Amino acid sequence: MANLKPLKIGIVCPYGWDAPGGVQNHIRDLAEYLIAHGHSVSVLAPCADEESLPEYVVSAGKPIAIPYNGAVARVLFGPIAFSRVRQWIAQGDFDLLHLHEPAIPSLSLLACWAAEGPMVGTFHAAAKRQRAIFAIGPILEPVIEKLSVRIAVSEAARLTLTEHLETDAIVIPNGIYANKFRDGDILEKWSNETIGFIGRFEEPRKGLSVLLEAIPVIARFVPGVRVLVAGPGDIDEAMETVDPQLRSRVTFLGRLTEKEKADFFSSISVYVAPNTGGESFGIILAEAMASGSCVIASDIPAFESMLGNGEFGALFKSEDSQDLAKTIIDLMRDDSKRDSLARAGKAHAEIFDWENVAEQIFSVYEMAIVGSEKVRLASDTRSWSRLLNRESEK
Amino acid sequence: MKTGLTLGLLLLLFLWYLSFSATRLDRLHHRVETSWANLDGLLQRRAAVALELAHSELADPASSLILMAAAYQAREADMRGRSFAESGLSSALKLLHGDLEGQSPSAEKALLEELSLLTEKIKVGVAIHLDAVARTISVRKKIVFKLFRLAGTAPLPITHEFEDDDL
Repeated sequence: MANLKPLKIGIVCPYGWDAPGGVQNHIRDLAEYLIAHGHSVSVLAPCADEESLPEYVVSAGKPIAIPYNGAVARVLFGPIAFSRVRQWIAQGDFDLLHLHEPAIPSLSLLACWAAEGPMVGTFHAAAKRQRAIFAIGPILEPVIEKLSVRIAVSEAARLTLTEHLETDAIVIPNGIYANKFRDGDILEKWSNETIGFIGRFEEPRKGLSVLLEAIPVIARFVPGVRVLVAGPGDIDEAMETVDPQLRSRVTFLGRLTEKEKADFFSSISVYVAPNTGGESFGIILAEAMASGSCVIASDIPAFESMLGNGEFGALFKSEDSQDLAKTIIDLMRDDSKRDSLARAGKAHAEIFDWENVAEQIFSVYEMAIVGSEKVRLASDTRSWSRLLNRESEK
Repeated sequence: MKTGLTLGLLLLLFLWYLSFSATRLDRLHHRVETSWANLDGLLQRRAAVALELAHSELADPASSLILMAAAYQAREADMRGRSFAESGLSSALKLLHGDLEGQSPSAEKALLEELSLLTEKIKVGVAIHLDAVARTISVRKKIVFKLFRLAGTAPLPITHEFEDDDL
């Protein structure tokens, strides 16, 4: 990475910068990593609050909330956004554009439409086959085709891409800063027969209820078992939904800081990810593994490949509390098995470290910029912009 | 009058579509060429490294001979025979690499490291090139592109069959 001349890289974030989300975190970490290595980076993103943005983020306007893929996506498009994207590209003089999630209606798609030259696209989502995508496929095809290289963050995301858009991609996982998680402190209050869960517990697809249903069975075999739930959400309301007999065993911790998260992972006996679907990568599993937690996850495709089909963590049948209980009891009563899984996971988590991931992304950049000129406005939109500019001058 | 206007508009739209498609195809052809140039450069470098390896202390005479033959073949192959020759070099290198696992003197270590770096890049390069070729061919098969000869005189790109798992 060091032997390359500094690049000017433009990154487009499809979702609102201020909303929490995996894609935004990924872009933030990547941008900061690239800047730390001497490249100049500009991130174009929709921002609800235009103040207090990091220096490298350029706001494209306020995002609008639209329902997409079973959740609410905060994205931005439309003529005004399009002209901002064009302006950003024309003024940026970029060597390379990195577009995230360019196949959904968002800034990334607009940028892909407007630009020409070295472009890399990263596909994050993994979704089931959708009719709507088939309908817009022919329109999307020539646009997506302009990307010089496509990256998928997981096998699941790659499969979605090949099914929906009939195009292949290189798999490069999302990155974590493994250092931050390597040396968490073991805290008394969180250790001893504890099961950890992190996530927006109010969302059914995160599967907290699957875990809670398993507790009565687990308690019969592991009398001291406790569940620690961390993550944003209304704690009182969530406690209401918990079976009164279980309440003494469940603690809601609210949102954890990065340091607390590392300590949390180091202290708990097992980490459980009972997500029922809609996951494409599962960065939290990578973090848990990097901290040396023993991970138990549902056998949805993303988690299955993340845990190497059970090599680096235990898998249970998704949405099956009985199977989950069995897996947890098995591991909680067998220290050596738990330790060996945790150790395997910790070693495996190295491949998700930013040092590795950024290196791979960067070599893709290198391949994309070879032989091409700088990023410029596409010839077929240049005439449009001339037309529109003249109109706006009037 | 009104139908004339509609027809005119439709014709305009169609002409725009034709020019859009031609640009699209031109971009794809351009991609095929640049990605091939890039891949070609990488492969040449690999052949050079392979030759250097063959001349080094690392290889025993037999594998050195195989390696050298494969490297020359890869260098001299024409466009059509290229992927076959390169696959041959890949397997020759793999053979050697399997033997060297764990016992390499420091001087040759740099060579082996360069080789594995190149191999990673070649994998990406092959993926990019094959994708560009497949796209171009599939687009050129479409009826509009054929009917209006949007490809002009550009030759149909050659499909290479690199065996990625061998690289």
